Formats: sequence, C-alpha cells, structure tokens
Amino acid sequence: MTAASVSLASRRRLFTALSAAVGNAPAAAMRRAGRPAAPAAVPYVPLASTPPAPVRWLQKATFGYSPQAKAAFDARPGAGDDARWQNWVDWQLSPAAIADAACDARIASGSFLTLDKSLAQLWADHHETGDYAVRMLPAAEAECATTIRAIYSERQLFEVTVDFWHDHFSVFGWDYDGGPLFPDLDRRLRANAFGNFRQMLEQVCQSTTMMYSLDLYASTRAGPNENYARELLELHTLGAEHYFGPTDPLGVPCIDADIHCEDSFPQGYVDNDVYEAAAALTGWTIKDGNWQFPADNDGGFVYRSEWHDRRNKIFLGRYLPPDQPEMRDGRDVFDRLCAHPNTARHVVGKLCRRFVGDNPPASLIESAAALFTAQIGAPDQLAQVLRAILLSDAFKNTWAAKVKRPFNSFAGALRALGGDFTPTTRDYPNQWPTADELAARLQQAGHRLFYWPAPNGYPDRAAAWSSTGAIAMSWKLLTRLTTIRQEVGYSDTYPYVADVVAQTNAAIAAGGRSASAVVGYWCDRILGFRPEPVRGKAVDFLRQNAGADDALDLERNDWHADDLKRHYTQDRLRSTVALILCSPDFLAR
Amino acid sequence: MTRIDRRDFLKACGTCGLVAGALPGTRLVFGAPNANDHDTLVVVFLRGGMDGLSLISPGASNSERFRYEQARNATRIPLTGEGAGLPLGGDGQWQAHSRAPELQALYNQNRLAVVLGAGMPAPVTRSHFDAQINMEVGLAGQGSGIGWITRALASGALPPNVMIPAVSVGSLTATSLLGSAEAITLSDGGDFRIDTGNWPWNVSPDYAGDAPAGVHGMLSMLPQLWTGGSSLEAAGRQTLEALQVIRGIDFEGYVPAPGASYDDDGFAQQLRMLAQLIKLDVGLRYAAIDLGGWDTHNGQNYMFGEAVSRLSRGLGAFHADLANDTGNYAQRVSTVAMSEFGRRVQENDDQGTDHGYGNVMLALGGSVNGGRTFGEFAGLAGDQMFEGADVMVTTDYRRVLSEALIRRLRNANVYYAFPGYANYSPLGIFQGSDLAPTGFDAVFANGFD
Repeated sequence: MTAASVSLASRRRLFTALSAAVGNAPAAAMRRAGRPAAPAAVPYVPLASTPPAPVRWLQKATFGYSPQAKAAFDARPGAGDDARWQNWVDWQLSPAAIADAACDARIASGSFLTLDKSLAQLWADHHETGDYAVRMLPAAEAECATTIRAIYSERQLFEVTVDFWHDHFSVFGWDYDGGPLFPDLDRRLRANAFGNFRQMLEQVCQSTTMMYSLDLYASTRAGPNENYARELLELHTLGAEHYFGPTDPLGVPCIDADIHCEDSFPQGYVDNDVYEAAAALTGWTIKDGNWQFPADNDGGFVYRSEWHDRRNKIFLGRYLPPDQPEMRDGRDVFDRLCAHPNTARHVVGKLCRRFVGDNPPASLIESAAALFTAQIGAPDQLAQVLRAILLSDAFKNTWAAKVKRPFNSFAGALRALGGDFTPTTRDYPNQWPTADELAARLQQAGHRLFYWPAPNGYPDRAAAWSSTGAIAMSWKLLTRLTTIRQEVGYSDTYPYVADVVAQTNAAIAAGGRSASAVVGYWCDRILGFRPEPVRGKAVDFLRQNAGADDALDLERNDWHADDLKRHYTQDRLRSTVALILCSPDFLAR
Repeated sequence: MTRIDRRDFLKACGTCGLVAGALPGTRLVFGAPNANDHDTLVVVFLRGGMDGLSLISPGASNSERFRYEQARNATRIPLTGEGAGLPLGGDGQWQAHSRAPELQALYNQNRLAVVLGAGMPAPVTRSHFDAQINMEVGLAGQGSGIGWITRALASGALPPNVMIPAVSVGSLTATSLLGSAEAITLSDGGDFRIDTGNWPWNVSPDYAGDAPAGVHGMLSMLPQLWTGGSSLEAAGRQTLEALQVIRGIDFEGYVPAPGASYDDDGFAQQLRMLAQLIKLDVGLRYAAIDLGGWDTHNGQNYMFGEAVSRLSRGLGAFHADLANDTGNYAQRVSTVAMSEFGRRVQENDDQGTDHGYGNVMLALGGSVNGGRTFGEFAGLAGDQMFEGADVMVTTDYRRVLSEALIRRLRNANVYYAFPGYANYSPLGIFQGSDLAPTGFDAVFANGFD
C-alpha cells in the first residue's frame, strides 16, 4: 500500500464512521462491494403491491387519489367498478357540466388580477412595461390558479389533460416576452384540451406566447425563421421518431408503397420539410408595434401578406401552388400534418404514455391513433381518443409503471390530506410566503409548473423522475406538507395547511386512537389501501413503546424522554403521515 | 481549505470510538492537501446548440475571416471596437468572444484547448433533443437508457469502495449518466437533506443529535419502507444512500482557493460544489453539468453574450479554485465543454442563427495541452461545408472524450463507452500515456454484477 492509498483508506473510514453515526443505514459509499453499479432500471420492474382497481384508475386519471375522489366515483351509477368507471370517464369528459363551485370560490379568494384579462389588456398592462414584476404577474397568477385547480377542481381529468398539453406545447412561463401573455396560451389549451387537435394546433400557433417562444412572429419572406416550424414537426405533430434528417425528401419512402406520396404520405419529414413549413408560415405574426405597422400594437395575431413567401412549396410530398389565398399555405401545412397517421401515433402515443405507462401496448396506440385519424374533424376528437385510452384494458390493468412527477405527488398529497392551500402572489414583508416556499421546493425537485426551459416539455418517463435529486427533493417537499403553515410557512400564527392531528382526532374517538387505527386511517386516505411494509413500519414508528392497539394521547405534545410513546406525540403523528407520503406506494402511479 | 461539518465530524468519531488523532494523514480537516490519486472528468453540456462561430471566431489572420464576415453581419464578432474578439495566442487565427476573457486567459496560459470541427459524424440530426440523446448515450441507440458515462464508470476498474463515483448536477439525471446506480444527482449540496419535518422526530434525531435516548427520527424509519425489488424502490434506496453520503459535508462552510470568485448564478455555484467534492476526495471520477441558453434563433447577441459570460466566469473560477489550492487539483481534473451541434454559418434575418452541425469543443485543465487548437477546420467555402451551409464535422466528439478516458481516467474501454466507435487515435489534447483502445466484457467483469 502506498502512502497515498493509506491516507485514502483512512479518509474512507472517516466517512464510513460519519455516515454510520448520523443515520441508520450502513451505506457510506455509492460504490461498494456487493452493490450493483449499473444499470439501475432496465427493464422497469413495477411495485409488487397493487391497490384496488378504482384507486389505481383514480391515481392515474387525476392529480391523486383522495377519499373525496373515491366517493365521487362510488356515486356514479353502474353495476360494478367497470360500469362506474365508464360513467366516471364520460362524466369527466364533459367538464362544463361538473359543478366546481368550491374550486371557483377558492380561485376568487385569491383576488387574481390578470387571469380574466383579454389578450389586448394583458398586452397593454403587462407586456408594454419595463417593470419585471408587472410583466411576470400573469404567469405567476396562472401558476397559482393552476395549482389550486390541480388540488381542488372536481374536473380532475380535464386538469390532468391540460397539464399534458402544457407539456406538449411547452413554453417557459417566465419568458420576458411570453410571460406577460401566458394566461392567453393557457386559455387556448383549456379551450381545446378535449376538443379537436387541428384546431388546437392553429390556436396555439397563433398565441402570442408561442409566437415569442419559437420566434414565428419574426419570420418573414426576407428572413424565414425556422424555429417554430422545426418544433411543429418534431414536437407538436410527427415527432422526432419520424425525422429522416437532412436528406433528399424524395428519398423518404411512402407509407403506402404503391401510392405516390402526394396521394399518401412520406413516412416522415426531412429538413427540407422544415424549411418549406417555415416558408408556408411566413407572415403569421403579431401586432407588436413593428416599425412597418406601428398602429398595430395590441399583441394579437395578424397575417401579413407583405411578409409571406408566395412561391410554390412542396411539403410532405404535397405540392402547394404559388400565390395561394391568405393563410392557405400555413393551413395546408397544418392539415397535412394533422392527417398524417404518424402524427396520430406520436400524439396518441404520448397520451398513452401519460395515462397508461412508459411502454403502452402497440395495439392500444394503433387503435387509438386510428380513432384519432378517423375523427380528424370531430369537435370532440381528443375526448374520444382519451375515452378509448381510459377504458382500455391496458389502462385498467397497468399499475406502477410510472413514478408520480413531483407536481403530481405534491398536488396529490394535498388532496389526500384535505389541505387548505390557496397560493397567491401576495407579499409578506421579510417573511417567506408558503406559496413561494412550496414553488421553490417544487423547483428543487425539478418540476415547478411552467418552468421547463426547452420546448419539449417536462420528461414523462419513470427513469427521468427516478433520479436521486427528484426523489430526495420530493421527499423533502412531501415531509414539509405536514408541518407547513398557511400564508407564511414557518409562522405559527397561521393554521396548518394540513392539520393531520386535528383531522385524526376528529375522525377517531379518543379511546380508539391506537397506532394501528391511526395509521390504517391515513393509509386509506393517502394510498387507498394498506400495503406492507409501509403500514407496519408506520405503526412501529407511531407506537414507539406502546402496543400497536394501545390508545395514544394525541391531545398533548410534550417532551417525555422517559416514555417515548408520550414524547411529542402530535409531532410524531405528523411525521408518521409524512412517512406514508414518502413511501413507494405513494410515489408510484 | 475544505472541511466537513466539524460537529458531525466529532460526533462521528465519538460514536465510532475514533478520535481525531487516530486519523493521521487525513486532509479533510488537517494538513496540507495533495492532488487526488485519480482523475476527474467534468463534462459541461451547453444545451441548445451553442454557436461555436461566435464563441471562437476566425481572427484577423484567418483565411476564413472574409467568408465568416460575409455570412455573419448582425451576429459578427468584430476584430476591433465594441465587442471585439479576444485573440487566442499570437497568430491571429482565432479569437474568443468578448465576454470570455477568462477563457482567453486560460488559453494563453496553455490550460485551455479548442477542438475545431467537433461533433457527431452520424446520424446527422438538427433536433436538439435527438442530438443530445445520441451524444449522451454514445450512439448506442436511444432505447438503451444507458449513458456513455455510466458505461465508462462501470468499466473503469475503480476500487471496490468509492464514496461518490459520479455526480449529475441538476434535479434530473443527465442522459450521459442514465442507468447508473452509483451516481448522485443533485443541484445543491446544502439543500440535499430531508430536514423539513418537525424538530423532535426529524431534525433533532436525524441531524442535531440532541434527542432523548432511543428516539429514531423519521429518516431512520424511511429506508424500511423501501426494501422491495421494484425499480422505484431501487431508485429510492439509491436516493437514501446519496442522502447519507452527502449529509456530512458542510457546503456552506466551503472556502474556495485564493483568486477563485464564483458568481451567484446556478452554473457557477454548481461548479463550486464540484470543486469542493473534488477536494474532499470523495472519489469523484465523472461529473455532468449543464449550461443552457444557447438556442439563439433571434436576437442572438445579448443572449449569447450572457451565456458566454456565465460559461467563462464559471470555468475561470472553477479552474482557479482547483489550480490555486496548494494541492494543485487542476492537475487531475479535466473539463470538457460540448454542445449538441453548432449553428448555421449563414445568420438568419432575425439577428440569430438556426440549427447547424459542426462545432467547437473546449478542453480545460492542468493536464490539457492548451494554448492551441486541435482538429481541422474544413473552411467556410460552399464545398467545404456540410450541405453547403454548416461547419463540417471533422473531429468525432467521441475521439476527444475517448482520449480523456484513456490518458486521464486510465480507462481503455472506449469502445464499450461508445458502442460502434472504432479506429480511435489520440489527438494529443491531454497529457498522459496511451493504452490500446478496447471494448469491455460487461458480463464477466468485476463490479458490474
């Protein structure tokens, strides 16, 4: 052994000792004998414990299971869970018919200033100012309202689907130019979330926030900007899996081998299609007070034929003649993309991945994509596709093929805990507002709303959210939820966001508050069942030196070093609930 | 000088029957440090497609300057006046962006090398996301879910015990480290702890150590919930171990070496954390760290300048921190900066540039043969460019990384790290002796079971 290795060994001993002293697990090194180095997660092995079917379905189709969600499910008519599920899905697919007064009232209580402003108002009040806080207020308020809806809206399937489209058409919410108009993009996604994909695509294209995000507003005949066109093909429609690279478009095989591509489709796109799409969409811009049109300055969409490239184009094997009528080139591009069966596969495949699992069966993607294409003009095209996915056997039977993303576990925890949380942008001088703290903790976990910097949206695969960073910071956030106060998190002048002690004492009579009963109650509320080892370990933690069935005194919270079952019992209950939230059964979906 | 938290340190020793005096030679707390006995490779990924022609533009004597000026008007890096480039070396061939004085200085001190025409030979893609994934999985096929650093790490013949072999900086793991069960993904060391519960059942027993006898905090119970055989539970156990490993380190108390001044931005602070981990000698072999903001389709100059400044100031502080320490850690730390592709040579009409192909790579460190360029620059004439539009890729990015693996990390298994790669030969970017490049038998090798 060299001197260097001796010194290294002693350092390692030090770290071993250190870790052993401050925690219980023997691990002190990420690499050590007997520990697998790689790979961790290929192929994906789901969790062994499986909750009852309605719990599984609700966990995947909402922002998280809760007793209230289960009660709403049970209230649907139908003989048996499958019939009730079909009814639930149809009920949820008509969100306007679902009363949502409590959620609406909570949003109203936030006194938001910007969310109902028209695009022109947003433009005048928030874009045309140099005050950064004023500029970003619309995005900040959209974050608050979206969080409230995720937790409290009865229209859960709608909210989950809107979240999906925000990733599909991802923009960074706090963009200097796009942020002031963000509620307008949100409204467009909400208006079309269960609607028609073709219509949504054009609506999103024309949104000022997207125009800024991908530079389409600045794309002219003299200087086409291909940023939007590339992401339109790569992310919004066909998908990168159908990108053939910078090659000859005539070299791309047709979907139907015997048919000319103009009457069918090339299997995918090449760079030339990106350039042609960019040319087709030149002149699609916004009224931003451009020096050529200074009077046009309300932030709205406008088509400028002066900026449009009028020459002929060939897009995905289809000839677009020169001098087409106003906006016809761009609409031909959208039509062509939306009718392409590989757009159906890409979009539907992503929906399946969100709702079913990372590797949905090809048969489901094919059948749902066929429905997408068959209903290409239907005003409820996307609702029909979602319905097919949610009623499929693959959806019903797949469990724990995914990890809840941090925003999902955060909103789900507050749903299960019956939390009272109304995030606003209100300022509390010299104090850390609860809304800011929780947003910051979501950011630490890698999943703050509208905060993904790239146009591809937050990842939606289990492996991405299985990082030590995402899991550790999710635990940190979830643990905080049982201790944090409303308004200002560390100020005990405010009530708890989720007072699990008061709720336990209200639900269980004093003589019945055993560790076993209390943990069972919270497992039911949070997980919808009582899986081991979570239940048993939570009981052990809560009971300390009491028997599992001995009543605990949950009315007091004092120091009792000599009798741990009486030691800070209320705090121990809060940590017990945090433990259940930090379990694999809670993070799986 | 680096240190771990003294209170934890003393507690650790007390609990385990060790006293400080029984640890001769440890440099964690006492004594003059020495460079680690292994190398560290830091891979900086510039996400968004960094415009290499603006970071490193043709200088006054460069025969391509004329064509560069023809293609770049609004985004041009001038030779003189406001925003003038900073000459690299004395030959007038290349100049750094005006916001990169730290990089210029490192180049002129022979610590920074520039690799020209670098990129991914095939498949050519102008998709950010595909190009990043292809490069980071090492062309093994995107479906594998295993990054090239993961494979380098697994084949690297590391000792049986290594505290932190690899770090991916951020909340989500870089694709280059996907699939590694021994990497830690974290964005902020000081935040990386579960201390948000209540005092008597979390903070006190788990961290402060002043709880009554027999109390177990919720953190000590948590591992017992994560014992199953699922992928999620395996990831949870990896997270628990990462928390254990990180918790003893006092990040706030870290004092960088003289002359190392880190900015407050995320990139600089993350480099600061890496420097601290390197000096703590936790065994760090690889670190993956990101810097974004390079997708400059519109109004490039401001955005690009800001990004360059973050890059230059961050790397400048990082190198100074390692080099100015009495242990001269820079000798055994190499940093490579790369991007998924360069940008179109011809600027667009929005004072921006669109997705291109070939690019520069940077190599920084005490063991880098800096102060010069490597690789060929094919030129900016029509027939010298890819499709007549982009800088040609003349240097396979795998060649650069493979040389770092062989000469610095002493890992010859470059054909395992980069499946399908062949005919490696060194460019001479890094100091060190050569090993015959080879593959690796993952099934029968130690440490990969």
